[in-house]
Amino acid sequence: MTHPIKIQVNGDGHELAVEPGETLLAVLRGKLGLVGPKRGCDGGGCGACTVHVDGKAVYSCMTYAAGLDGCLVTSVEGLGNGTLDPVQAAFVTAGAVQCGYCTSGMIMTAKQLLAEVSDPDEEQIRHALAGNLCRCTGYQKIVDAVKLAAAGA
Amino acid sequence: MAIAEKQTTVVGTSVIRPDADEKVRGGRGFPVNVTLPGMLHAKILRSLRPHARIVRIDATRAKQLPGVKAVLLPEDVSQQPYTPVFFVPTLAASMVQDMVVMSDTVRYAGQPVAAVAATSAEIAEAALELIDVEYEDLPAVFDPEEAMAEGAPQLHESSPGNVAVHPVFEFGDLEQGFAGADHVFEGVYRTQRVHTCYLEPRVCVVDADPHGRITVHSSTQHIFGLREKLAFALGVPESRVRVVRPPYIGGGFGGKLDLGYIEPIAALLSMKTEKPVRIEQTRYEDFITTARHPITVHLKTGVSKDGRFTARYAKSVLDTGAHATHGAEVINVHGFFGFLLGYACENQTWEGYTVYTNNMVGGGYRGYGAPQGAFAVESQIDEICEQLGFDPIEFRLANAHHEGEPHPFNPGFTLSSYRLDDCLHQGSERMGWEERTPAGSDSGTKKRGIGLACHPLWVSGCMGFPDIYEHSGAIIKLNRDGTADLAVATIDMGSGQTTTLCQIAAEGLGLPFDAVRIVFAADTETVPFDAPSHASRVTYSAGNAVQAAAEVVKQRVLEVAATMLDLPVEELDTRDGMVVANGASEPALSVADVVTRAESPYVQVGPQGPAPTTIGEKGTIIGVSSQAPPSNPSPATAEFVEVEVDTETGEVEVLRVVFAHDIGKVVHPNAAEGQVEGGFQQGMGYALMEDLQFDQQTGACLTADFLDYKIPTAVEMPRSIESVFIESDEPTGPFGAKSLSEPCVIVPAPAIANAIYNAVGVRVRDLPITPEKILAGLDELGGATDNRASGS
Repeated sequence: MTHPIKIQVNGDGHELAVEPGETLLAVLRGKLGLVGPKRGCDGGGCGACTVHVDGKAVYSCMTYAAGLDGCLVTSVEGLGNGTLDPVQAAFVTAGAVQCGYCTSGMIMTAKQLLAEVSDPDEEQIRHALAGNLCRCTGYQKIVDAVKLAAAGA
Repeated sequence: MAIAEKQTTVVGTSVIRPDADEKVRGGRGFPVNVTLPGMLHAKILRSLRPHARIVRIDATRAKQLPGVKAVLLPEDVSQQPYTPVFFVPTLAASMVQDMVVMSDTVRYAGQPVAAVAATSAEIAEAALELIDVEYEDLPAVFDPEEAMAEGAPQLHESSPGNVAVHPVFEFGDLEQGFAGADHVFEGVYRTQRVHTCYLEPRVCVVDADPHGRITVHSSTQHIFGLREKLAFALGVPESRVRVVRPPYIGGGFGGKLDLGYIEPIAALLSMKTEKPVRIEQTRYEDFITTARHPITVHLKTGVSKDGRFTARYAKSVLDTGAHATHGAEVINVHGFFGFLLGYACENQTWEGYTVYTNNMVGGGYRGYGAPQGAFAVESQIDEICEQLGFDPIEFRLANAHHEGEPHPFNPGFTLSSYRLDDCLHQGSERMGWEERTPAGSDSGTKKRGIGLACHPLWVSGCMGFPDIYEHSGAIIKLNRDGTADLAVATIDMGSGQTTTLCQIAAEGLGLPFDAVRIVFAADTETVPFDAPSHASRVTYSAGNAVQAAAEVVKQRVLEVAATMLDLPVEELDTRDGMVVANGASEPALSVADVVTRAESPYVQVGPQGPAPTTIGEKGTIIGVSSQAPPSNPSPATAEFVEVEVDTETGEVEVLRVVFAHDIGKVVHPNAAEGQVEGGFQQGMGYALMEDLQFDQQTGACLTADFLDYKIPTAVEMPRSIESVFIESDEPTGPFGAKSLSEPCVIVPAPAIANAIYNAVGVRVRDLPITPEKILAGLDELGGATDNRASGS
């Protein structure tokens, strides 16, 4: 049995019928064609699927779509306004992007941190990113990127 | 070549990676995003038994489920054995051919026994539940030493005793070497099974069209290897398989260096249904698809009183799991590059055993056998130096190879650039190695220590290796706007290979970096062969091929320019997108002008009417190369690590890392640092926490998600990883470059083990070094530790 929901994703309204067990990640990737959020584990273990729901970073693979009626969802595609968001730009400048599979989730988590703490120290940054795995960078340049974005903000 | 001639303007700068902009916007180019019209989704039924024969398999109910389009069972699949390893020829004599796509004999828990294609992944998954399989269990064995013992369950008829390969290499006279030793050290060093943990799952979409052509999209590290192995497994000619080069993949690290089960299964289902079939692995499936092999190294070393090796012996037992695949090759790389070659010693013997067990199948992973060897060798050197009072840096250098000597593996080549001494000395200075205090001497309950490890000898590709592909190619085509398109088969796994290749092209062409663009629409039909992205080879091997293609293109640009300017070719050069004549202060032409002229009509109409140009100028300016690299230069690596060990909990915190590398010319400093920092994360996980565990009764994976299989997060990682690059000038490399990728993963485990010893005096010889093992070691030391701590 499907469940009707109305959600706004990156500024666009959608009326969808979702299965009870359908995740937000499945809706974004499968129904809305947004490939920024990535499936890395389906178990809240890697953070590659991180998006914002009502301004708060969530693992979209662990969030049921049926419970999101009336919510505002932002994925990495919804950042910036024709140009790159400062956090996206900082990831490019700092060399924080290697394979890029974790990048969307990392950026969404960093956005949430900077929304809460405008000038985070290194420990705050590292703890904020602890739920997002990266296997390429060793995190050093990702931490640099967040510092760079904070300094420019 | 004079220094002045080798000044580079693009190579050596940290240009912005062109793929980064796309990836921060969401990254459309990943294979996981590929969809095709009418595509079906397939799921694989995997055995829960570790060793069994399928007596009966019945998919009647599954086929009746609405939405199911095809079912694949072992009886539908060719039983032609093969090896899935990409970089060896299909029937390489050195490799064991012991795998089939789907067998009615199960040899590990997780082996595919059936597959379903359906209109959705959910329906395919539900259909798996409706397949009835009756097994006859066989006795299983999970420990390689037990597997080699008499009476053990046998996995493959072709390999009695469960030994897939047993290489032995002897140099000099071992007995005489030990007789001449003043001291003999013996130890057993064990390593565990770990996963590469690429974040993008293994995924493929295979489209077998009605005309017999098979198009493959896959998260692969090698399009040509995938074409070759898939064609062989399916029994079709190679030319019928087309593998598309993905713009980028979500990590690989060696874990995507072979034909998976998914590509042939998707292909067979696509052939049955005449629709594209997609398979995306779950994380559980990824965890049981290739891992770094556990190897137990029995090490015996003779040392003279003046600190020279007189004899070295090692026996290495590798658990390859249910099939030999990479295990037949990893064992040799482990023997040579993990043990025999790093240090000079006249009398050496090494023997390896690649042993079948009912464990998951091992595979490629950065370092390819060397991490297991380096952990043993570099730990034992630390023990030798500690016991005999040698300086660990000078001891290593006294026993190492040196620049200018013949290459110890490829005597036809020379160690033409090789600065291990600079790595050790500059690294130690940066770390403050001289201030290191004796083991366990730090006071308090949290004790700090510093450790060192090297990886003296490594590769830039596989030139000189038996049975391994090693050639590369490139196509460079100029456009009328003065830009260049670079087409290669090379896969960028994330480390930025396409960026560095574009830098090499730009430097060779005399164009600005942003005028060179990598071609995304490449596949096995359009670009020259390249060996896989593996063996630290891309910058050196593919880089040389790109440089060669750039030389062809540049020569043509200068020829056309010479006609246009009526000047000799020899007096012209390109620089930053312009053609410059010798001695002239202003550029004569732009490269865009030259290409436009070459692509223009023969007769051009000017203000004075139609006028012919020169026939010889006409034609697209294009350069193609396909070549083997000239040598196989070795990078050199030394790593210094500072740790803090909590003697109450056994926990280890890595505080600081100094990583010194001689990689020749550094093409992209920021990307090189990124490789080193990420390499340390993988090495640190290997040293301290990662361990792919299996139930010893059922063979079931116990750590099949990121909650049970822990890799270092931003919190566990050290706050400071400092890269020191010693820029030697490799004469055979593109603009002096060698390789980087793997040594930075190989050395962290022994460096951390040695630092832990220096902190608390506990020597752990089996990975991972968990708090339990440290506490057990501290218990064993007992009062001695307290005395040492308070007595210094």
